[in-house]
Amino acid sequence: MTPVLQVKDLRTQFFTDDGVVKAVDGVSFDLHPGETLGIVGESGCGKSVTALSILRLVQEPGRITGGQILFKGSDVVKMHDDDVRELRGKDIAMIFQDPLSSLNPVLKVGYQIEEAMQAHTKISGKVALSRAVQLLKQVRIPAAESRFEDYPHQFSGGMRQRAMIAMGLANKPSILIADEPTTALDVTVQAQILELLRDLNEETKTAIILITHNMGVVAGLCKRVLVMYAGRIVEQGPVEQIFHNPQHPYTWSLLQSIPRLDADRKDRLLSIEGLPPDLIKPPPGCRFHPRCRFRIERCFRDDPSLIDVGPDQDAACWVTMRRALASDGEARA
Amino acid sequence: MVKRVPDRAALLRAEEVVKHFPAGLGASVKAVERVNFEIYPGETVGLVGESGCGKSTLGRLITQLLPVTSGNIFFEGVDLTKLSGENLRQKRRELQMIFQDPYSSLNPRMTVGDIIAEPLENFGLLRGKAKDKRVQELLRIVGLNPYFNNRYPHEFSGGQRQRIGIARALALRPKLIVADEPISALDVSIQAQIINLMEDLQKEFQLTYLFIAHDLSVVRHISDRVMVMYLGKIVEVADSAEIYRNPRHPYTKALLSSIPIPDPDIQSTRRIVHLSGEIPSPVNPPSGCRFHPRCPIAQVPTPCADLEPPLEEKARDHRAACHFSEKVPVAV
Repeated sequence: MTPVLQVKDLRTQFFTDDGVVKAVDGVSFDLHPGETLGIVGESGCGKSVTALSILRLVQEPGRITGGQILFKGSDVVKMHDDDVRELRGKDIAMIFQDPLSSLNPVLKVGYQIEEAMQAHTKISGKVALSRAVQLLKQVRIPAAESRFEDYPHQFSGGMRQRAMIAMGLANKPSILIADEPTTALDVTVQAQILELLRDLNEETKTAIILITHNMGVVAGLCKRVLVMYAGRIVEQGPVEQIFHNPQHPYTWSLLQSIPRLDADRKDRLLSIEGLPPDLIKPPPGCRFHPRCRFRIERCFRDDPSLIDVGPDQDAACWVTMRRALASDGEARA
Repeated sequence: MVKRVPDRAALLRAEEVVKHFPAGLGASVKAVERVNFEIYPGETVGLVGESGCGKSTLGRLITQLLPVTSGNIFFEGVDLTKLSGENLRQKRRELQMIFQDPYSSLNPRMTVGDIIAEPLENFGLLRGKAKDKRVQELLRIVGLNPYFNNRYPHEFSGGQRQRIGIARALALRPKLIVADEPISALDVSIQAQIINLMEDLQKEFQLTYLFIAHDLSVVRHISDRVMVMYLGKIVEVADSAEIYRNPRHPYTKALLSSIPIPDPDIQSTRRIVHLSGEIPSPVNPPSGCRFHPRCPIAQVPTPCADLEPPLEEKARDHRAACHFSEKVPVAV
C-alpha cells in the first residue's frame, strides 16, 4: 500500500531573539490510507509543530528548514501557496484543541460548514445546505436541522468539537489531523468524541493523525504511535507494542508515571526527574540522557538514531528497555 | 471543654452547605446544594466531578474564600461560617489552599522568597534571619534549590511553580490543605513529581488533603476516600478502591467508564456508559434526582423525577444518592 503521506527528515525551526529553536529536528514517518496514527509527547516536544508543518501553517518566526512532506507524492514544502490553500481543508483537514476559538462567533454553525465546502467545490447553496445538515447528523448532533441555525455560543464544548469535526470532514479529506481534540473537554464528553472519531474513521476511511499528551486517548483510538521527545521521534510502532513492550526509556517512564484506573495499588508513581531540554541548545548525545535512569556512558556522547527493536517497532536508544530491565543495577550511570 | 461535634473526631465537617450565586432577575446559580461530609485527620479525600459541578466552589467554601449561603462548616469543632475578622484570619492559618494554575497564582512581581514569606509576615511569626531560614527550609522541603529565593516566578517551569505554591501553603504549618486541580496544568512527566511530593509531605507533616480534580485515575491513586459531585450535590462517597470496584451511582459508573486506560487491549473492549444530553443548567436543576434526565437506569416520573434520593449508606462506609443503586452494573 502506498502511503498517503510521507514525512521525510522534517526540520522546522523558530528563529527567536534568543537563538534558533529546533522544534522539529529530523522527523520521518509514513501515514497509510485510513490509518489512525497517534503522536504523543509533552508540551514543547514538537508534536503540534509537526502537524502545523504538514499543512504549512507554521507561523513566523518559525520556518520549515529542511525535509520533505509528500502528500500523494507531491511535496507540500515546495508547493505553491495557492496549491497549499487548495490542499488545506480539502485533502488534509485539521481540528484544534479549543473549538470555540476555531469557530467564528458571529456566523451560524451551519453556514460555517457550508462555507468550508464551497471554498473548495462549486456547489449550489441547496446542495451545500443538505450536505451540511447531513454532516451534522453524521457527527451525531441531535436535531441537526435546527442546530444548523445556531451560533457557536449556543453549542456546548462537546457539540462545538463535533461541529469542527463535521467541518473537517466536509470535503471528504484523505487525512484529518486532530490536535488535542479532547483536552478541553470533560471526560464523559471526551469518551464520546473519541468514539465518534473511531466510528468516522471506519465509515469514511479518512486517515487520522491524533496529537495528544494523553497515553490513554491514544490507546483507545490509534493503531500506530509515534512518541516524540525534544523535537525527535524517540520510538514508534504498533500501539500494542508501544504500550506492552516499550523499548525507549522515555516511553517506558511515561507509561509508569501515570496513575492507572485499572491498577489495584497505591504505590509511588515513577517520576521522570528534571525538565525537558532547551531546544536552542539541546544536550549532546541522546537528548533524553539527562533525565534517563538507564543511561550508559555512550548516551552522553553519541546521538542514537531509530533502530529496529521489534516487529515494526523502532526506538532511538543505546540501551533499550529489554537490556535496561535485564541489568537494571549495572546500567545506572 | 467547648461543645464538640459528635461522632469520630472529624477534622472538618460540612453540614447542609449551600452556595447560590446571584444570576440576575432573581435567579441564582445553585452551585452547591445541601452538601454534607466529613474529613478525618491524616486522610486524603478526593473530590471529583466534571466542570461546573461545584467542586471548586466547595473547596473555596471550606477555606472560607467564599461565604456560604447557608449551612455550617466545622473545623476542629469550630464553625467557620460563624467566624469573621481576626478570629477567621487566625483559623485560616490551619487551612491552606493550592491552586490549579501555577502561573496566575503567584505574584509575578514578588520574588519567590517573598511569596513564601508573605504568610509568615502576615501572621507576624518570623522576621529577619529566622524568616529567611524558614523560607530556605521550605524551598528545600518542596525540592527546590534554597538559594533560588531571590528569583521571580517567571524563571521557573510550571512544575517548579507548583512546588512554590506548595511551599507557600506549608509555610504556616496548616492541618488541612485544599488542593484544587493541583496537577492538571502540568505535563504528564511532571504530574508524577508533584503527586509524589504531596504524598511525601503528607507523611512528613501529618497533613490532611482535600484533593479536587476531574481525573478519577489521579484521584484514585492519591485518595483514601473519594466523593463524586454532580450538579452541586455529592452523589457518592466511598473508599477509593471500593468506589472503583463497586460504584453505586450510575454517574460514577459513567465517569469511570469514560476514563481512558493506557492499554490498547483493555481500551478496545471497554464499554462506555453513554450519558444522554448535556449537564443541565445549575440555575434550574432538574426535579427529583438531578441526574435523572441523563441517567441510563432512571425510572421516570416515579421515583427519579419527583423524589430526591438521599445520600445514604449502601454498604459499609459507602454512601450513594440513588433510588436504584443496586442496579448499577459492576465496574469496567
